[in-house]
Amino acid sequence: MSINIIVCAKQVMDPETPSSAFSVDSDIKQVTPVQGIPPVVNGFCENAVEAALQIREAAGGGTVTVLSVGNEFVMDVMKKPLSMGADSMILIQDQLCENLDALGTVNVLSAAITRAGEFDLILCGQQASDWDNAHVPLGLSETLGIPCLTEAKNIEIGDDSVTVNSSRTDGYEVFEANLPALITVNNEIGEPRYPTLRGIMQASRKTPEILSLSDLGLSEDQMAPAMALSDLYIPVSEAQCEIIEGEDDADSGRLLALKLREAKII
Amino acid sequence: MLDYYDVAELFESEERQIQRSARDYLDNELMPNIADWWESGEFPTDIIPNLGEMGFLGANLPQEYGCPGVGNVAYGLIMYELERIDSGLRSFASVQGALVMYPISRYGSEEQKHKYLPQMAAGNIVGCFGLTEHDGGSDPGAMKTTAVRDGETYILNGTKMWITNGNIADIALVWAKDSEGDIRGFLVPTNANGFKANKIDKKMSMRASVTSELVLEDVAVPATSMLPDAKGLSAPLSCLTQARYGIAWGALGALESVYNDALRFSKSRSTFGRPIASRQLVQDKLVDMVTDHTKGLLLAWKLAKMKDNGTMAYNHVSVAKRENVRASLKAARIAREVLGGSGITLDYSVIRHMLNLETVDTYEGTRDIHTLIIGRDLTDENALT
Repeated sequence: MSINIIVCAKQVMDPETPSSAFSVDSDIKQVTPVQGIPPVVNGFCENAVEAALQIREAAGGGTVTVLSVGNEFVMDVMKKPLSMGADSMILIQDQLCENLDALGTVNVLSAAITRAGEFDLILCGQQASDWDNAHVPLGLSETLGIPCLTEAKNIEIGDDSVTVNSSRTDGYEVFEANLPALITVNNEIGEPRYPTLRGIMQASRKTPEILSLSDLGLSEDQMAPAMALSDLYIPVSEAQCEIIEGEDDADSGRLLALKLREAKII
Repeated sequence: MLDYYDVAELFESEERQIQRSARDYLDNELMPNIADWWESGEFPTDIIPNLGEMGFLGANLPQEYGCPGVGNVAYGLIMYELERIDSGLRSFASVQGALVMYPISRYGSEEQKHKYLPQMAAGNIVGCFGLTEHDGGSDPGAMKTTAVRDGETYILNGTKMWITNGNIADIALVWAKDSEGDIRGFLVPTNANGFKANKIDKKMSMRASVTSELVLEDVAVPATSMLPDAKGLSAPLSCLTQARYGIAWGALGALESVYNDALRFSKSRSTFGRPIASRQLVQDKLVDMVTDHTKGLLLAWKLAKMKDNGTMAYNHVSVAKRENVRASLKAARIAREVLGGSGITLDYSVIRHMLNLETVDTYEGTRDIHTLIIGRDLTDENALT
């Protein structure tokens, strides 16, 4: 059995960046890149790569192609999926992709996927750690006209179908869909493997295919945002400390409970 | 990675990726337990196959024997990351890769290379290196261990001391003098009759590493277990050059670790209403650490390039080992001062690194020995003997 999988992966700011180093420029409504802290591949996208590799290994053959849209890729970072074992990578790199909204991203990804040819499965991270919107996978499946199964904990490939065990807040749901399909995953699918030295050296011989929007036949008009960001700021949090003093510890506890109830916290 | 001068800009993309992947793996899988292993005096043998899977064992040795075959910058960065966790972990990898796999690769027969190197790279076979004896590691030529030929067999007798991995090894590379007085290397299975490894306990350094005495009493090994192309003291010394090269990088990993502890602590610890990081004396200490690390990283990088292009000599390695280890030990001692009382606990890495580095400063050539090696090269006068 052979299965061809496309994984959509996003380069994001390292979510481990210390909060003290994080800042936004409210004038241009953008997060200010932190000097000295390189970006990373979005965590859930790494989970998607791991899932794809496991599916390919279980199938005994096929390909894993990683696809990403951005303006300025850091190749040390983006080659990680290749070092993990993906077969190829397509990067759509264009100045116009700098601040794409979900619809624009969907347009670019769907054009790139259509150009890439036949596929059995698209895997996406459930959401990206930069904006946490979780819009793109849903829009992409809609645009491509294929079923979308979300938050997969387990994926089993049949002859022409896929069975997905999906995490829900109160348990799990099992879905079956025809292939091709799009599936989103999170960390429940399993920890992404570490790139080994052999994997990194093998990936060094793989060159990502870099395309522009014009290579995909896309115009600037098609990138026009459907949604406008009206404001971007870091919420100001003020800490106030009030010492609750009672006659003894039990009394202090009682007074604290009253205070919390007044504040509708308990 | 601590990198004040952006030295990593000089690295290849793959080298940066290797450093990052090694750090991710080690931080997630080993760092959380290292203080406990150190305190209990335990080397976690179950991690060995994982280190092999990652490619950390004999990383710079040829791919045709199942090794990753990376360049010397990448190899150095792996040593750096291992020792950022603990010198004991780096020591394990150094002994496996530089002191056992390297001599097999350089001096072994094709049969020996195919038999041992792929299995050692995978972590399925563990090796140790038996050169030092009780009466002084700085004079290995005076060894008393003997190898007497008896037909197609060699009979080994002697005792080796301070042998890393001794009690967990499957094979020991034992250096012994033959009947002509030539030093030869023998691959001795540690389950051979007459071979015994005695674990050295009560160590206050390298506690997450196994250190042993090896006793060989009439150990019979086939003549084919001898490394055919290793003859004379230069062979084991060439292995030490490889290991010392790795230490030159590794020590900087330990330096980064103690610096980070000192920096974080100094920002969070306040005296007289201000963080101690705001005090000039503390800043002076932090600046010294970063300056030494920056110089050391440039030194190690240049040494790697010399090693890659074949111009590295053992005296060059002495400069880097001598300098970087002492800088790291000095940084650990200063970091311990910055942390005050907290610096003596295993809640921080400082005291663990400091105690480990006392060993690293001594083994693989003491600072004094390296001074004399470099001095001899500079003056053509031999003060070693």
